[in-house]
Amino acid sequence: MTAYEQKHTLLHVDNLSVVYDGKTIIKNISFEEKDTVVPGREQGQIIAFLGRSGRGKSTLFRTLTGLEAPTTGRVLIPDYSKTVHDGQQPAKMVEEGDVGFVNQKYTLFRHKTVEQALAFALRRSPLSATEKAEKINQYLADWGLEKVKMQYPNELSGGQRQRTAILEQLLNSGHYMVLDEPFSGLDIGNIDNVRKAFQLINRSSELSTVIFSTHDIELAVELADSIYIIGYPRENGSPGTSGTIIRHFDLKKMGLAWSEKLNSDHYDCIKEIRDIMLSS
Amino acid sequence: MKPATWFKPFETIDRGSRITILTIWIVMVGGFWVLASTGSKHLFPTPGQVCEGFISLFNEGLVVHIASSLALCFKATFFSLLISLLIAYASPLPFLKPLAVAMSRIRYLPLTGITFYLAILVSDARTMQVSVLMIFMSLYFITSLLAMLKDIPVEEIDHARSLKCSRWEVLWEVVIKGRIDYVIDMLRQNLAITWMMLVTVESILVAAGGLGVLIKNSDKFMNHGRIVALQLVILAVGLLLDAGLNALRKGFFRYSTF
Ligand SMILES: Nc1ncnc2c1ncn2[C@@H]1O[C@H](COP(=O)(O)OP(=O)(O)OP(=O)(O)O)[C@@H](O)[C@H]1O
Ligand SMILES: [Mg+2]
Repeated sequence: MTAYEQKHTLLHVDNLSVVYDGKTIIKNISFEEKDTVVPGREQGQIIAFLGRSGRGKSTLFRTLTGLEAPTTGRVLIPDYSKTVHDGQQPAKMVEEGDVGFVNQKYTLFRHKTVEQALAFALRRSPLSATEKAEKINQYLADWGLEKVKMQYPNELSGGQRQRTAILEQLLNSGHYMVLDEPFSGLDIGNIDNVRKAFQLINRSSELSTVIFSTHDIELAVELADSIYIIGYPRENGSPGTSGTIIRHFDLKKMGLAWSEKLNSDHYDCIKEIRDIMLSS
Repeated sequence: MKPATWFKPFETIDRGSRITILTIWIVMVGGFWVLASTGSKHLFPTPGQVCEGFISLFNEGLVVHIASSLALCFKATFFSLLISLLIAYASPLPFLKPLAVAMSRIRYLPLTGITFYLAILVSDARTMQVSVLMIFMSLYFITSLLAMLKDIPVEEIDHARSLKCSRWEVLWEVVIKGRIDYVIDMLRQNLAITWMMLVTVESILVAAGGLGVLIKNSDKFMNHGRIVALQLVILAVGLLLDAGLNALRKGFFRYSTF
């Protein structure tokens, strides 16, 4: 079991709810994620959200990224533009653009080729033009997109669009990223690529935080150090109709995080998650 | 080639079948024309009469008239494009949205009402022609531009927002730059309306010439051959404009595959 410490808060979600046309989609969502510090290495955080279809994962993600204002509650992230005060990093409400977001449909600019899209993502970077081009070429090669760099989104396969969408956000937003079902529609090689990218981001900076949703429980247990399950809670015996967090697994505390290989404890955890999801 | 499959919905057919079907239709239309133009009470002029009509039109300076019509059409199109784009692109701003919506609704006003007010404002007949065409084209153009804006998925706007685009940048990248090909296609569709109205509008000012004047003159003399020849010329020029804009869109925007 890896020794670790929890430092300042990176994400604080407080009593979040979203109501569409009088219908409560998600409610009472509160959680907090802290900077995990492991001595001797840069250790980011990977947080997974699991839940059956229609329970509100995508809705939650839109509010987490500041793209949609919640009906009640708030999402707070550290404000690094301010100096530490009383040993605490001042917080701010999340705004659009603070957090990278890859949606479930792998949306891209329809009028930009893969290369142009990546260049656009880097437009505010302080790098020189040649450094930018080098960086883009490196990423294109690493992610197997070199051959399609001159192609438009409508000329790409689903997996290629997906990888372009992830790369754009990687280049643009630095360390805080939300991905809605980044593994759906990918082949085993692509899944490996994204998995490696997650680990790369995770080790690249202390503060990097990747939040993703998936329907693959095993993948979530393997990659994440914190798993939340969104489901309908039972109210007076019958299942409710608004999604909320019904269970949190802190894999760090359980000694299951950052393992090279899954062991029997992991599989017990996977089974427990499956049972909880089935009854929610 | 199996003619039985020609009557099966959603059937994909080979090239040979397509050409055969097209040939059959052309022969049928041609045959109908010949049949309809024979007999004592003929519906259409014979192909020979149309040919004569065409030659006489050509001798009267058909090319100059076409140029005059095109000039009017382009002038009106240019101004209406300018106005429509300005109003439509401003419509994402909540304060200016009602303006765009109102403009689009005005297309239900009858033509005569608008020309009446225009006549008070404008005394010069040529300006009148351009204004009438421009106003009508703009109303329809704004309508289709608004529909296009409404069809932009939220995900595309969100995608730009998540890449740290300011709202103005979103407007520029997603709506303006990202949809130029749509604008060209709408221009193409609306040009059909303008081209059709052109003939009517040109009769306001006979001295300026144009295809509308030619057709009006031929009308007076009940020269069927000439009228049909003119109709065909107008149709051909319209189709040429249509094809040109389509080629422009496909040529410049590889991703524009609709
Ligand atoms: N714009 C909207 N208006 C009304 N209801 C909506 C809207 N968007 C989503 N919903 C509803 O909110 C609920 C949650 O949707 P959401 O897309 O967040 O689910 P999800 O957990 O991401 O599902 P999936 O795993 O299938 O992607 C669904 O019941 C859906 O019908
Ligand atoms: Mg979803």
